[in-house]
Amino acid sequence: MDHRPQAWGRPRDDVYGAYDASYMQTNGPNQHTQSPVVTGTSVVAIKFKDGVVMAADNLASYGSLARFTDVKRIRTFADTSIVGFGGDVSDMQYLDRHLTELSIDEAYQQTAHTLNARSLHKYLSKLLYHRRSKFDPLWNHLLVAGLDEEGKPFLAAADLLGTTFSSPSLATGFGSMLAQPIMRRYVPDEESVANLTRDKAVEVVRECMKVLFYRDARSLDSYSLAVVTKDGIELSENEKLEKQSWAFADRIKGYGTQTV
Amino acid sequence: MFRNNYDNDSVTFSPQGRIFQVEYAAEAVKQGSVVVGLVSKTHAVLVAIKRNAEELSSYQKKLFAVDEHVGLAIAGLTSDARVLSNFMKQQCLSQRLTYDRAMPLETLVSLIGDKAQLNTQHYGKRPYGVGLLVAGVDETGPHLFEFQPSGMTQEMLACAIGARSQMARTYLEKNLDKFAACGREELILHGLRALKETLVQERFLTVENTSVGVVGLKEPGKKGLEFFKVHDGAEVKDWINSLTNDTEVAEEPTEEPAAEGSAAEGSDSMQVDP
Amino acid sequence: MTSIGTGYDLANSIFSPDGRNFQVEYAVKAVENGGTSVGIRCKDGVVLAVEKVITSKLLKPGANKRIATVDRHLGVVYSGMVPDGTHFVDRARDEARAWRETFKTPISTSDLASRMGGYLQAYTLYQSVRPFGITAIVGGFDSELEAPVDGEVGSGPSVGAGGKVEGKKHGGPGLYMIEPSGMYWGYYGAATGKGRQAAKAELEKLNLAEGTLDLKQAVKEAARIIYVAQQDNKDKEFELEMSWISGADGPTKGRHQEVPKDLLEEAERLAKKALSEDDDEEEEEKGDDKMEE
Repeated sequence: MDHRPQAWGRPRDDVYGAYDASYMQTNGPNQHTQSPVVTGTSVVAIKFKDGVVMAADNLASYGSLARFTDVKRIRTFADTSIVGFGGDVSDMQYLDRHLTELSIDEAYQQTAHTLNARSLHKYLSKLLYHRRSKFDPLWNHLLVAGLDEEGKPFLAAADLLGTTFSSPSLATGFGSMLAQPIMRRYVPDEESVANLTRDKAVEVVRECMKVLFYRDARSLDSYSLAVVTKDGIELSENEKLEKQSWAFADRIKGYGTQTV
Repeated sequence: MFRNNYDNDSVTFSPQGRIFQVEYAAEAVKQGSVVVGLVSKTHAVLVAIKRNAEELSSYQKKLFAVDEHVGLAIAGLTSDARVLSNFMKQQCLSQRLTYDRAMPLETLVSLIGDKAQLNTQHYGKRPYGVGLLVAGVDETGPHLFEFQPSGMTQEMLACAIGARSQMARTYLEKNLDKFAACGREELILHGLRALKETLVQERFLTVENTSVGVVGLKEPGKKGLEFFKVHDGAEVKDWINSLTNDTEVAEEPTEEPAAEGSAAEGSDSMQVDP
Repeated sequence: MTSIGTGYDLANSIFSPDGRNFQVEYAVKAVENGGTSVGIRCKDGVVLAVEKVITSKLLKPGANKRIATVDRHLGVVYSGMVPDGTHFVDRARDEARAWRETFKTPISTSDLASRMGGYLQAYTLYQSVRPFGITAIVGGFDSELEAPVDGEVGSGPSVGAGGKVEGKKHGGPGLYMIEPSGMYWGYYGAATGKGRQAAKAELEKLNLAEGTLDLKQAVKEAARIIYVAQQDNKDKEFELEMSWISGADGPTKGRHQEVPKDLLEEAERLAKKALSEDDDEEEEEKGDDKMEE
């Protein structure tokens, strides 16, 4: 029998045969996440004169299956900023824990200031870029909203490649095609932000969520809506789409089992 | 030669609970030439006396910029200060890279405090033999911190460390209430007057031996910064001249170190908290 | 300390023939010179308080905080060598972070005390290090939710398998004091530093084990105790710093926070008043004595 310490606690070779170490190796290169698994769809956000409105539905899909219907995809940071997550939900949870750690670290300081939305966006985009450079991306498209160091509304996006983008209105996923054109009617440029009221911005975002629910098969009619201003964050996680009209669906032809 | 058996390393407590090696390191700070720092609502100022080893050699720099918004003044072992200053520069840069913001002063200073504390608790290490004054402006306004070899860091309204710094501290304590409302120039002059108090007879502030570092807000309440800059040589001439014309000095003859001396002296060397 | 000079006190981790570790005892001396710290655990939270002696007029008033936040729900205060205290706090924060990383949930007050007790004890084991010159008081409020999980995005089943157990009580306030030796105990009321004797006497009068004192009262008592403990040292000016932690439905919503300014000022006012009343009584007694003479 083998009495060397390395063999302690292992199956005995004389009973089970020598251990086949080839099981310990993989053939070929290391593989990281190649595609997302459980996913969230669009996040939409629009700046208004005093802040930013953001919305995302509460669905996490497993492929085409509507798997989890109460998943909250907007999180707050230090009562001053919000982050909306599109893409992989487990990576979102990883980022969520990461942000929790960051906000705890920031609260160590006794002085009142903390990371503003612009710094937070910078940090997240660096993190995403770092991961994509390791060929192990966090499969998310994020919107970060809040106020910048001058107290002006801030809104910017960062994606799984580390690409950053900023605009008076932003949307991820299907939203970038379906919601952006609607929002751009109200805030085509930075100047027009000053003319948009909070109520109007909320109305526009709600309208966008409705359009997305009509057109995006991976969306849900229950959603979260957040408004961030200098007074803080109002986050409601149980919004429902109202006054839906599916009359138009009747006239859509050319898909599914329809033959005419 | 040795004071006792308990002072050979920084991992031995004396029966009174003191660590002599750390206290000796604090003595090294008193060997350095004096530096003074003070803050108003808008500015943070550092002033220092430079020394030269001999008549023909250059003067040792006393003030260093760490980042756009932070500078420091040193008293004690210059080479130890360089280690800390380089570390602070790196930390400030990394903060700018990852968060795109100016490093908060409190965070920066606690980082070097923690670094220094480790040297007081492990055998084979020695405490840093340098004291620092760190001045800067962050999101919450101007700040001044004192760093001691023990790893103690404290936020101050005004401070002086180094040789004969007690005289400067006495001046600062006497005029403490005036600093908050001071403008840039006034604050610098207060700093220089405090510095002047420490001079022995027949020694004067000159353009050769005086350094002035300033950082502040461009306008009160606004975001714009006047970046930390060290003024030497001809740049300090006007300030020194206006000091010579000072009538205030004539009015108040130099006093003997005040009674507070002993208390403040103690805080210099002790790491046992107050 | 008759054994001073016998050589057994010159290095850490050395036992003397009668089984003492002198270096640890000397570290305790450093604590005994420090400003008084107090912790009170009451029925709905924890209060921490510390006496900060003002060593110089040049110090910025109100800055230089001595009570540190370790995690959202955890606070630490300490007496002794301040740089050692910041080392302790740094380590405590690392422990809290590592716990969250491993278990995806906040560390409990008792677990943090255990980890930090172990850390301090390790610094008594080797000649290459010295013990910590602090005694730390750790206060916290463990969440009363069944299992608060970090990064949780859905609500999960409300009852049944994987759901909540109804009527079960979790969490609550916790208070621990850790000494340079690494020894720690849980406390209803803890005090350390220069004025610990007087503070302990006052804490005992509060009958904290009965669980009748509430958080606001505890804040006022803590302030008063710091003022009482400071009595023997009257000539030194000091600043009072206090923090508190309540449950999720209390004033701090489960977080460790500074006591709000207005409450702190009220507590200080009451403390001063209580002291002056005591003084008056003493004066009267003295007066009586004299008359008797």
